[in-house]
Amino acid sequence: MNACIEVKDLCFAYRYGASILTNLNFRLDKGVFLSIAGPNGAGKTTLLNLLAGLIRPSSGSIIIDSKLVQSYSIRRLAAKVAFVRQEFVPVFDFTAAQVVSMGRTPYLGALAFESEADRKAITEAFEMTDTAQFADRPLAQLSGGERQQIFIARALAQQTPILFLDEPTSFLDMKHRVGIYDLLKQMQLEKQKTIVAVTHDINLCSQYSDMTLLLSAPASCCRKTAAGASYTFGPTDEILTAEQVEKVFGVETFSGKIGQRSFFLPLGKFTGERPDKTSAGENL
Amino acid sequence: MTKPLTLRWLGFKILLCLIILSTVMSVCSMIGTQKVSLPAVLIGLLDKQCQNTDYDIFVRVRVPRIIVAALVGAALAASGVALQAILRNPLAEPYILGISSGAALGAITAALLGASWRLWAGSPISAAAFLFALGTVWLVWLIGHLAGGSSVISLLLAGVVVNAFFSAVIMLLTNLLNSQQLRSTTLWLMGNITEKDFSTLLLSAILIVIGIFGLFILCHKLNVLTFGRAEAQSLGVNPRAVTLIAFALASLVTAVAVGLSGLVGFVGLIVPHSVRLVFGPDHRQLLPASAIIGAAFVVACDTVARTIIAPAQLPVGVITAVVGGPVFLLLLARSSRKLGGLR
Repeated sequence: MNACIEVKDLCFAYRYGASILTNLNFRLDKGVFLSIAGPNGAGKTTLLNLLAGLIRPSSGSIIIDSKLVQSYSIRRLAAKVAFVRQEFVPVFDFTAAQVVSMGRTPYLGALAFESEADRKAITEAFEMTDTAQFADRPLAQLSGGERQQIFIARALAQQTPILFLDEPTSFLDMKHRVGIYDLLKQMQLEKQKTIVAVTHDINLCSQYSDMTLLLSAPASCCRKTAAGASYTFGPTDEILTAEQVEKVFGVETFSGKIGQRSFFLPLGKFTGERPDKTSAGENL
Repeated sequence: MTKPLTLRWLGFKILLCLIILSTVMSVCSMIGTQKVSLPAVLIGLLDKQCQNTDYDIFVRVRVPRIIVAALVGAALAASGVALQAILRNPLAEPYILGISSGAALGAITAALLGASWRLWAGSPISAAAFLFALGTVWLVWLIGHLAGGSSVISLLLAGVVVNAFFSAVIMLLTNLLNSQQLRSTTLWLMGNITEKDFSTLLLSAILIVIGIFGLFILCHKLNVLTFGRAEAQSLGVNPRAVTLIAFALASLVTAVAVGLSGLVGFVGLIVPHSVRLVFGPDHRQLLPASAIIGAAFVVACDTVARTIIAPAQLPVGVITAVVGGPVFLLLLARSSRKLGGLR
């Protein structure tokens, strides 16, 4: 069976900097929810930008739908992959409806007016994200969570089989974090979308994703001599173990389980009394 | 949901703008130092033989001048819209990228050399201004590119620096001009619309219409581009290509306008801003509407300029600046308050 995304011997280094990624290999099947997690500087966003064809690898290859990413035209790739970043307020006062309709860009003709089919996709995107009530409001007047829903609706209107997200919930409160991830899971299950999400939130990663790619920053602080980041890749519950998380993030954690899913609570200097590790559901 | 933008709906809105423009143009053609009677003009139109001053003034002086004003207004407003989208800054305007100083430098150089050569734009001053304006914009583009890839900030900074440098050179050259040369360049620097011969008008009109139409085709891509380069690319728009083409078209129409009329400030800023308040930010209607309203605005300003201290005339740039300055400050206060509220 053909993998949906295949990464082979991927290396990346900025022109004058240390290597960020070295010899990365993984395959992702269609319809799988992958989280990319890891500490700051591990190259999570860089990897996502590489996958989306925004930057070129130093060596190695990225194959999306059995074609090299670089061989897609910008327009064709935009019909395969939608990209959601951290929510932001656009410079000009576009309304939610205008933003969502921009998801149709890869399909528009020369004069770029939406067709009936485009309209249908846009309405569907609004319905699925339950945001039709915001349609006529400028993005600046929405809350961060609502804005991010609109950006996800835009990605839905783009009707791509693959969806990339770069820290989609960083600025959101707990309720909206879960709301956005519920929406993503729903898109995975109902629309069979392949989802790749970069996240800082190891607990969301653990709860929602099928597979996890855990990138770690080089151990040495001197990035120039380091051999680049290493990584682990596999089913989420195998990758996110207490030892792994403590090792990769370099912080003591308290961990436990809810059903099959682990959760991790970082412990700081002032956390006070350390919980008893052996009794704390450390039964992996 | 509000009515989605279709080609027909857009056509209707543009028609409304065109009605406004033609009303302004016909009213302004009737206003002037010299009273012109419409029946006399019509008689002149039908009977070419008889001596008819009304007809001569109307057709040879007033109408060409109104057309020049309309062309200049349309060009400046349209390129303002395009540059604001490219630079992702609603306060950008053509002159921020060094067009003004480049054009001024060209004009002064031409005046200094006392050139008697003629290019398409009639006087050597206009021709040199056109060429220098175009050259400067591309110099700014090049410097911006070398300094920081194609980031918006490096482009803006390059514009500021080139502007400052050219201003210094202009100050130097101004001291070398005699009083006659100084007067003609000063008049030109303040934006001065005069009637032009037919071939100049035709060529300018063709260039400006091509430029604006080219920008119109790019409008949806400009919409997407205002979200940033990476966002644009993820939505299927090539940010590099669109930026480059839009920039080329915007600089071309601006340079033509500068060659026609000298420096007419603020049009590229306040017209798109005002039109945005009514039509919203969608460039597919913002750009054509701004071009038409910009034309009407400059025609009206020029009418004021040529009548307010009659029989003398003011440069139109004085009027657009007097109107535009306060409006600009108002908009600036509004937008910074809005941003402040969000942060």
